Amino acid sequence: MTRGLWWRLGPLWSLVSLLLIVYAVTVVTSYLGESVQVQFQYALVNLVIVVALYMFIGTSGVLSFGHVAFVALGAWTVGLLTIESDLKRNLLSDMFPFLFEVQAPWLPAILIGGIVGGLLALLVAPVLMRLNGLQAGIATFALLLVVGQVLTYWSSIGPRSGQSMVGIPDVLDLQTTMFFALGAIVIAWLFQRTRPARLLRAAREDGIAAAASGINVVTQRVIAFALSGLIAGIAGGLFALTNRVVQASLFGIELTFITLAMLVLGGMLSLSGAVIGALVFSVIDLVLVRLQNGLEIGSVIVSLPQGTRPIILGAILVLMLIFRPSGLTGGREIVWPFRRTPPLPGVPPTNE
Amino acid sequence: MNQLIQSLVDALSAGATLGLAALAIGLVFGVIRLANFAQGEIITASGYSIIFTWQLGWYVAIPIAILIGVILSLLMELGVFSRMRTATPATLLVASFGLSFLLQRVYELLFSNNVQTAPVAPELAQSVDVGGIRIQLLSVATIVIAGVLLFALIQFLNKSIWGLQLQAAAADFRTARLVGIPASRVIGLSFALSGILAAAVAFVSTVQTGAVGPTFGVPIVILALIGAVIGGIDKIYGALAGGFLVGFATSMLASWLPSDMSNFRDAYVFLLVIIVLIIRPSGLLVSGGTVRT
Amino acid sequence: MPSGDLGLVVRGLSVAYAGVPAVRGVDLDVPAGHAIGLIGPNGAGKSSTLLAIMGAIPHQGTVKVNGEDVDGLAPEKVVRRGISLVPEGRHVFAGLSVKDNLRLGGVGRRSQDGSADTLDYVLGLFPILAEFRDRQAGLLSGGQQQQLAIGRALMADPDILMLDEPSLGLSPTAVDTVFDALATIRSAGKAVLVVEQRAEFTVAFCERTYVLHDGTITLTLKPEDATNVDVLTKAYFG
Repeated sequence: MTRGLWWRLGPLWSLVSLLLIVYAVTVVTSYLGESVQVQFQYALVNLVIVVALYMFIGTSGVLSFGHVAFVALGAWTVGLLTIESDLKRNLLSDMFPFLFEVQAPWLPAILIGGIVGGLLALLVAPVLMRLNGLQAGIATFALLLVVGQVLTYWSSIGPRSGQSMVGIPDVLDLQTTMFFALGAIVIAWLFQRTRPARLLRAAREDGIAAAASGINVVTQRVIAFALSGLIAGIAGGLFALTNRVVQASLFGIELTFITLAMLVLGGMLSLSGAVIGALVFSVIDLVLVRLQNGLEIGSVIVSLPQGTRPIILGAILVLMLIFRPSGLTGGREIVWPFRRTPPLPGVPPTNE
Repeated sequence: MNQLIQSLVDALSAGATLGLAALAIGLVFGVIRLANFAQGEIITASGYSIIFTWQLGWYVAIPIAILIGVILSLLMELGVFSRMRTATPATLLVASFGLSFLLQRVYELLFSNNVQTAPVAPELAQSVDVGGIRIQLLSVATIVIAGVLLFALIQFLNKSIWGLQLQAAAADFRTARLVGIPASRVIGLSFALSGILAAAVAFVSTVQTGAVGPTFGVPIVILALIGAVIGGIDKIYGALAGGFLVGFATSMLASWLPSDMSNFRDAYVFLLVIIVLIIRPSGLLVSGGTVRT
Repeated sequence: MPSGDLGLVVRGLSVAYAGVPAVRGVDLDVPAGHAIGLIGPNGAGKSSTLLAIMGAIPHQGTVKVNGEDVDGLAPEKVVRRGISLVPEGRHVFAGLSVKDNLRLGGVGRRSQDGSADTLDYVLGLFPILAEFRDRQAGLLSGGQQQQLAIGRALMADPDILMLDEPSLGLSPTAVDTVFDALATIRSAGKAVLVVEQRAEFTVAFCERTYVLHDGTITLTLKPEDATNVDVLTKAYFG
């Protein structure tokens, strides 16, 4: 009886604890001054991207370098929908005329951005999802580069090459961003418990057995890819409203790498890994920014030389991959700390 | 006609450059399943060294560039990849991404974000008249350099006992070790060779641009990596051919796409890549089966 | 070195995959000049035993080659102590020529002296390899590839030769060629350990044959047991 209850509440606890952690860190940062708040808002946007990455990579075990393309589409959509018509006519004069007229309030704009991202994912998924391993990585990478090129050079849907979209309204605050982040975590958690996600995890663990038992992995992967594309698109919208300047070059290899690094840092096989990886990475980054600007400890000013911050971040990732390749969480979810949850069948107990 | 020949020579030269870069990636992948994105930063390091030492004479600058390429390549293996022997190819690729990012920032710190410039072999930057057709001397030089290097490398791989050991390890690593081929020797050899190839790529690229910045190697390695995968990254000659094809196609598109579409040149190449991957996931030159991952 | 030490001695060898034991506490003695068989059903742990002896998979227990402990050494080092494995499925380097396959076999020699003599010995044992020396190994027939794989292992001049299912997928004539060669190798004073599926044949050929079942040795058979159907049936069905 109690065991049955724990079975049901155990996973719920992992969700609640993640939500509480994100909430707590947000509350703490909101007391640390405006520049920290702004930086943490970016961190929350990245967290949503990482959760989106997890929904696909963590569940299917297939590498994707393409999700930032969906982020880009989400940001683009929100930019086009929220900049005032007159401003668009002046600054983005090469665009298709109908794009000058379309407008939406920021909240629906974010959702539309998510749908656009999800639609692109859905469109390319039936083709891309047949690939595995390195081939999947390279194909999704090619997708990222194609989308980047189109957004950079096709001035009928945005600014001319080298220019950016400006005039995005200042409407999104830290708290609202946090609610989106919490929402993304809830959606990812719910998705984990659906049939497609469970089938994908089974196939990830044992591809041959899954294929033998007749699971059509491609269909499940398409579902996961499209859904995570939707979340990535929403993250793109959040990014647009946070940054308030949108340019194709923002959505390239660097953002892809940083968000993947967060996922790997936390442990790419669990939702807890995605969330904790994003938070830990962001908090380290916050500290490094403080240090780089000079931090007073007592009478001593500690300061890092300019340009060392990304080096330290890169070094942390590489060292992490060497010494703890399964990430901070080791691919496990957070468990109820006061009672041992029953071990999963087939998983040998560990002494960590 | 004139323009066709000129664009063909250019495309052959671009193909040769990327072929060498992709070959460097394929050599390492064959042995330890690492698609090394940080190969770009080896190219960048050799590029910087050529820029800084060119005034001492080519006979100084080129050996130093090769030495730097080989040393950095071996350091990557010793410092990072040798500690990740049980990792999957996907994890290794992410690690090499991390290393690439890290080294770019180190270059930024050391040499600033601006490009460092020097006229490298300016005599090669001219055009020559061949029977009324103007051809970039550098294009011809690139083809010759790539040809000579490839010939030497193929001789080494097929004739010397070390080259044979490398081929055996690339084909079947476990059996190679059971036969008595030392793992560390062939792995070190593959990284050293990829360092030499990086220096060659750095040389032809610096002659072309005369400038090196922190991300100098990135566009080269992106195209080379893509080429290696579509050619069949676990076959040495597959990687070479794939890199050549991507370079050739990119250059041809640049020459022949109408000007209002030329901005999308790379987008077409990448679309082509996706199509090739879907049709031949294990590589254009590989018959059947999938890449061991 | 006392002559009793020559050959292979294995004590308490255990192998586990992800916590699941595949070989549990196997003891083997393969003296010089003897052929020893190792038979048992699929999944009994035969190949794991050979790979563990070579140091190619993690294991526990001790392995002595000519009295010298080789535990914890990488396969390429184990080869240089005088023991070679002809892997299951032959695994010749298909893209390389017969000649180059044999050259690569010589990489594992303790000393490069006498490698020309070893090559002559191998080509004498398997004349077909001399005939096809420039042919790509992948183009050889299964029997020819098996001869090449054995020749490649012999090029390291081992004192102990281990073979994993050398008759698998070969025609009866090809099997005869392989086992005639093994008899010659044995009479030259080398120790031979051969893993096989074909019980009757192996038991008759070897001085002693171990039966491996579920990772442990359950029986030791003598050549005269080869005609005893009851014993052989017991070997396979426990």
